[in-house]
Amino acid sequence: MNKLAKTISSWSLVVGLASALAGNATAGEFDGVTLKVATWGGSWKANIEKIIVPKFEALGGKIEFVTGSPAANFAKLVAGRGRAPFDVMEILDAQVGDFAQVDYLQSIDLDLIPNKSNLQPFQYNETYVGSWNTQETICYNTEKFKELGLAAPKSYADLAAPELADKVSLPDINSGAGLANFGGYIYAAGGNEENIAPGLELLQKINATKFWTRGGETKTQFETGDIYAAVVHAGWCARAARAGSPVMTVHPAIKSGVNGLAKEGWLGIMKSSENVKASHWFINEYLTTDFQYEFAINSGVFPLNQASIDMMRSDEINARLMEMDAGNISSMLRIDYSKVDKTMWIDGWNKTLTAN
Amino acid sequence: MQTRLEKFILFLWCGFSYVFLLSPMVVVMGASLHGGEFSAAIKFPPDEPSFQWYTKIPIEQFKALGLSLIVATVATFLAALIAIPAALGLVRSNFKLKFIVSTVFRAPLQIPAIVSGIAFLQLYYLLFDTSGLMLAGTIPGMLLGHIFIATPFMFGTIVAVLQRFDRRLEEASHSLGAGRWRTLYRVTLPTIMPGIYSGGLYAFMVSFADVPMSIFLTAPGFVTYPVELFYAMENDFDPSILASSSLVIVFCLGMLLVVQKVVGLEALLRSGGGSAR
Repeated sequence: MNKLAKTISSWSLVVGLASALAGNATAGEFDGVTLKVATWGGSWKANIEKIIVPKFEALGGKIEFVTGSPAANFAKLVAGRGRAPFDVMEILDAQVGDFAQVDYLQSIDLDLIPNKSNLQPFQYNETYVGSWNTQETICYNTEKFKELGLAAPKSYADLAAPELADKVSLPDINSGAGLANFGGYIYAAGGNEENIAPGLELLQKINATKFWTRGGETKTQFETGDIYAAVVHAGWCARAARAGSPVMTVHPAIKSGVNGLAKEGWLGIMKSSENVKASHWFINEYLTTDFQYEFAINSGVFPLNQASIDMMRSDEINARLMEMDAGNISSMLRIDYSKVDKTMWIDGWNKTLTAN
Repeated sequence: MQTRLEKFILFLWCGFSYVFLLSPMVVVMGASLHGGEFSAAIKFPPDEPSFQWYTKIPIEQFKALGLSLIVATVATFLAALIAIPAALGLVRSNFKLKFIVSTVFRAPLQIPAIVSGIAFLQLYYLLFDTSGLMLAGTIPGMLLGHIFIATPFMFGTIVAVLQRFDRRLEEASHSLGAGRWRTLYRVTLPTIMPGIYSGGLYAFMVSFADVPMSIFLTAPGFVTYPVELFYAMENDFDPSILASSSLVIVFCLGMLLVVQKVVGLEALLRSGGGSAR
């Protein structure tokens, strides 16, 4: 017994020493490095500041934020002809086509992102690594629907009910969710990326009068009673629920076997970045179970990390409003932006709404 | 003589104007005192009034506010240094292409600020390529942009005052033995001072409140107050934003009182303030 205790103690000492040495080796890994991250402001940035920044600082580095929407940050990149005042950038899936036309991103060394193992294969490649997704849903006020004698909506077309006149809010085409959800209407009406006419007809039929540019607006509008239904991601619906609104989500029927629409967020490293190692470190940290879970809870997006998704189930509101089954999430509609003619989509949208 | 009906209508109209102008501020300040449960919407009148949200204003907003005040003050001062001689030269000269110079000085008013922001950013990178001087993402770079949008307001009000300026005052000064500089310092500038204050007030407000151009000129570590608020609200509504805005409203009202005490708002109004627009 004594011998066993000694052996365990010796090994513990060796392992402890090795850990300590390894710790010292990485403690100053990013001494003097200032990593600049382009991301959203407010609570979004606050989550990163709370969880990732202290870890980076412990390694000797410093993280600064360039706050702004991905669209504004892309505009800065274009104005600077690819030279960016940031190293890593949050990118929306609708921007992937824009980035394909320019040469602003550098290749990602996936070997430096071990946490990619937490993702599904389609969620990373050598240019982008997935960071979060959103489940674009129909969020509706259950009490108001009951009062109006309406059944729970199953598809976007159900939002055209006359009882809902002036009480439906859709994402504006220029909002972060605008193109994705327009794609949802198009597919649900029988069209596709190249044939948008059915989606425009559906849009005309819904005849919405309210269009949000920030998801947070819908949370406020549910609370004030300005809207009874909104096309918005489940995270915003969950926030409305946490604020006390009696809301529920529906993953709208898109086509046979496809219910719901997913929108992905990506991270990319700027070609002009000199902090390549730190940029990879940041992306890797973004995918940890802890961060993905905390971030999802606080910011309303959905994690990509399966362990984080499992943790999400413990929250009653999330479990009720969000799809947790990995298979169902994977099979949600994802718009192929390489086939999207943005000008045509936006023009079509604007003309249809003007005609309404 | 005004009839009683006319007086009543005037009173009613003035009252409506005051309500129209002040009610948004009253709602924001009132709602900032909401002390009940967290609300995703503005609560007015507030439940259980308290100052709880004032203690939750993020430090970034105070930093941004400080930066905005500094940038707006310096931009206003530098815009005055450009606009005063330009206005004097323009009003008192008779060269043929005068209208072109005048148009150039007012041009920033015609250009959407977001376009100016992109143009400045491109210019800075071009400057860097050719001279190695990097202004993008620096405070001097941001200041240049703010001077660009603030100068037309200063220029317009000073031109308006100078056009009504009685030049016999300067002639009298000269005839009493004062030189050109002394006349400028003792007669001209004091006379056009209401125009300078008025233009300065507009220039300060335009610079302080700018979002579209500043979005392109801010950088990590220095973000102006309106941009900070804009991005804070992009994701979520937090009543601390109302508290922060209320502090700025109080500060601005305080500044107006100081201006009233020092210069007199009537003097600013007499100067034809805002004629640049």
